[in-house]
Amino acid sequence: MKRVRFPEGAKIPAVAVLIMIAALLPQVLNQYWIAVCVSVGLGALLSLSLNVILGQAGIFNMGHAAFYAVGAYVTAVLNTRLQIPVLWLLPAAGAAAGLCALLVARPIIHLRGDYLLIVTIGIVEIVRIALINDVGGLTGGANGIFGIARPEIFGVRIRRDIQFYYLIWGAVGLTVLLFSRLNRSRVGRALSCIKEDDIAAEGCGIDVARCKLLAFVLGASWAGMAGTLFAARMTIISPGSFTFWDSVLLFAAVILGGGSQAGVILGAFLVFGLPEIFRDFASARMLIFGLALMVMMVIRPQGILPPGSRRYDTGFLSRRERAAGDGRT
Amino acid sequence: MFQSTTGAGRRLILKKILMSVFVAAALCMLANPAVAGTVRIGLMCPLTGGWASEGQDMRRIISLLADEANKTGGVKGSRIELVVEDDGGDPRTAALAAQKLAAAGVVAVIGTYGSAVTEASQNILDEAGILQIATGSTSVRLTEKGLPYFFRTCPRDDEQGLAAARVIQGLGHKNIAVLHDNSSYSRGLADETRALLDKAKLNIVFFDALTPMERDYSAILTRLRASSPDMVFFTGYYPEAGLLLRQKREMGWNVPMLGCDADNNPDLVKIAGTAAAAGFMFISPPVPADLSTDRGKAFLDAYRAAYKEMPQSVWAVLAGDAFNVLVEALRHAGADSAAAAAYLKTGIGGYAGMTGTFSFDAKGDRVGDLYRLYEVNPEGVFRAISE
Amino acid sequence: MDQFFQQLINGLAVGGIYALVALGYTMVYGVLKLINFAHGDLFTIGAYLGMTLFVGMGLAGKAPVLVSVLLVALMVMGLVALLGRLLERAAYRPLRKAGRLSAVVSALGASIFFQNAVMLIWGGKYEVYPETMRPSVILSLFGMGVPLIRLIIIGVSVLLMLALYWFIDRTRTGTAIRAVAIDQSAARLMGINVDRIISLVFCIGPGLGGVAGMMVGLSYGQIDFNMGFSYGLKAFTAAVLGGIGNIPGAMLGGLLLGLIETLGAAYLTIAWKDALSFLVLILILIIRPTGILGERTAEKL
Repeated sequence: MKRVRFPEGAKIPAVAVLIMIAALLPQVLNQYWIAVCVSVGLGALLSLSLNVILGQAGIFNMGHAAFYAVGAYVTAVLNTRLQIPVLWLLPAAGAAAGLCALLVARPIIHLRGDYLLIVTIGIVEIVRIALINDVGGLTGGANGIFGIARPEIFGVRIRRDIQFYYLIWGAVGLTVLLFSRLNRSRVGRALSCIKEDDIAAEGCGIDVARCKLLAFVLGASWAGMAGTLFAARMTIISPGSFTFWDSVLLFAAVILGGGSQAGVILGAFLVFGLPEIFRDFASARMLIFGLALMVMMVIRPQGILPPGSRRYDTGFLSRRERAAGDGRT
Repeated sequence: MFQSTTGAGRRLILKKILMSVFVAAALCMLANPAVAGTVRIGLMCPLTGGWASEGQDMRRIISLLADEANKTGGVKGSRIELVVEDDGGDPRTAALAAQKLAAAGVVAVIGTYGSAVTEASQNILDEAGILQIATGSTSVRLTEKGLPYFFRTCPRDDEQGLAAARVIQGLGHKNIAVLHDNSSYSRGLADETRALLDKAKLNIVFFDALTPMERDYSAILTRLRASSPDMVFFTGYYPEAGLLLRQKREMGWNVPMLGCDADNNPDLVKIAGTAAAAGFMFISPPVPADLSTDRGKAFLDAYRAAYKEMPQSVWAVLAGDAFNVLVEALRHAGADSAAAAAYLKTGIGGYAGMTGTFSFDAKGDRVGDLYRLYEVNPEGVFRAISE
Repeated sequence: MDQFFQQLINGLAVGGIYALVALGYTMVYGVLKLINFAHGDLFTIGAYLGMTLFVGMGLAGKAPVLVSVLLVALMVMGLVALLGRLLERAAYRPLRKAGRLSAVVSALGASIFFQNAVMLIWGGKYEVYPETMRPSVILSLFGMGVPLIRLIIIGVSVLLMLALYWFIDRTRTGTAIRAVAIDQSAARLMGINVDRIISLVFCIGPGLGGVAGMMVGLSYGQIDFNMGFSYGLKAFTAAVLGGIGNIPGAMLGGLLLGLIETLGAAYLTIAWKDALSFLVLILILIIRPTGILGERTAEKL
């Protein structure tokens, strides 16, 4: 596939400019648009974590909100009952969500795509029903949990949206950095191999089930940590924020984005930002949104920014080939 | 990956998409500041989502009242401008709607319907120093937080629990089945009532939740029947209440059923069918058709003239009254949230609204018992039978 | 014991409707491997069209109920089929060569679009089918009242399933449909007009969904613009339970899901009943990864 590429050197200034724009944006936006950007940022964080599962490993997960919910509830319960500072709970939320993912995914990871889809939908519904039914007297039923403390960084209490903007988009930046390293790692390469053809991957000596499970658990625990940030921002959480529908929107953001990190962030912008931009249409705004989703998919079936094909340093191969050839003659 | 469009072509399409998104965003971000000589009032209501009909009624009623208020001089010579935002019946959308209203420079916000939805907007509006008057959010804890600018025109769930327990005891039933729908409101009312009935030594033979938005409740009804109650108290919304009544009749089971204020909607009779709905009782603030005040009657006439039908829900009428008391406060205290809030708490006493007279306590709750007991008569009309 | 029989009939009645919706789902999936998320909303549109036609044509009292119901059913089927065909042209055909998930997202967009279109056209309120069209006969079975309409629904589901099965299995067109389902390019080489077959499938599936919507309207009376969401999800679950793409499987899955829900609510828990049915689904998939009647396909070997 032909693809125009920026020269490697031009990429760094481009990223720097983007970061500059992101950093200065809140200075020109009003309160409302900052709040929208914060919610898009949370969406982007979740979509990036889903991208590891759906985009990289090719596991059809339409129940991502379940792991997000586990993280948010673990944070809320531990914070309101034991007064542990919210940001300290990030690892706990991530671990809890990851553990849940591990337990759930182990028996089902071998299922074929569409069957996995309905199973993950089932999981998100089971989690929501459990939360509503106040499981263990911990989740507060439909009321949810309120009075979650604001996070604190270096003694600064994060309260205002503009502070959350930097916190959450900072987390997005960090995520992009870590996940692009993952993508280049051995596991990342194994995952893209599995996505293309899992039989062939198995044949190459990749432990397919283990790699898939790893991606699933990693994505889920990342979503759990996003849940912590969500709980800290809202200060009230209730089962209504973690439904099948929320999972569907995340799914749409990843597919719409196309699977590259930049694409997924853009996808999150479209899925979580467009309904806000369409506010002037009042009752018709979701109608327009649905139409936009269809039109965008039809115009760009492969997503807005699909990941470029991997580039390998093939120089050494030809060198080796030549060497081998020399030996034979 | 799947299509062999050339890179340049793809970039062009991408550019076009991005450009149009940015242009749209930029257009929307040019928030037009309030023109001098106008007072902006925000309305936050569910225009989309499962409660869309409530929100659309709220918008109709308040735009009607706003036109009327502008004809009679607006607020101290300033025109009232209504800014309507959709909360989708969803807490997160509501948080953004509240931000948008705050950014639009409204002096006060009316709304909204669901308690959890209102709750998501409370802190945002409070931090922005904007007066808020909720209209259908009955959850107790909303006014227990000590927010100085928060009011509501609807009663609280604990009042309704008291009214429900009083009615059930008054009817003399001994074995009561309580059915809720696991929503914040419904569960709260069910718990409240169960505690009061326990105290009164009545038998709770059944306590469980149905799943709202389904169509077939025959399994639950069969199980309810097996617990042989003297009366079923259902604390959910009218669509489910209507279906329960209908399917109960189809089963040939004639147990009396009591509902709550969320059943106060004539669609209940439409859904259940007149024959099945007859005899159903519910406790509620007065239905729109029962507005007995002069203000209320005049409003009903105006509404019918404008929209060719009757308003459906009492909650939307309570939104109309929120607008009325707000305009009254603004007219006395000027377009200032703090002054208007102070006026609502101290000065408004005895103001005649459409649903009765108004005064607010220090928490921002409306004072006075609004609840009455209603029965569906054989013609399918809601008729007040007590209190 | 009495209660058990009652609940059994309740469960079959609920399951009958799931089966009816699932048939359309599974039909489209079987041929295109596309999870048509808009199916639930086509179902809603069928319910609303049915109501509008009943009221608008003023059939009440003029023609025998059975005749007018059949007439309206045919019209609803035709209109929704047309809509399904349009949907396929506009939203799915351009994506046929793209990844399968792209079509899923397009279907989600279509679902949001239809749901809100219904809300804007017919309003956000609950609507009710005209009383005169709703058969009010109540039979007495095992000492309990069973509305005739519930039994009719089970009957209609079974009949439609048999008809569909016969159509797919015995007719020439059915053979062509099966060929397209197995391998589109090979089918094209055999002289089958693949586009036409897919259009046909997108008439049958949505048409069935539309009729199911009308049946729900007749049976329960109350309809609203949101109703397709939960029925769509349940039907999808049912189709997967039975083995998606398999016509008797959809029937079996639907009835089974109805029974699990109802008996679960009757003997275990009401508040957790949906969680229970998903749990059963997951367990069944762990044991039989392609559903109860799904073929065991060794994948890509």
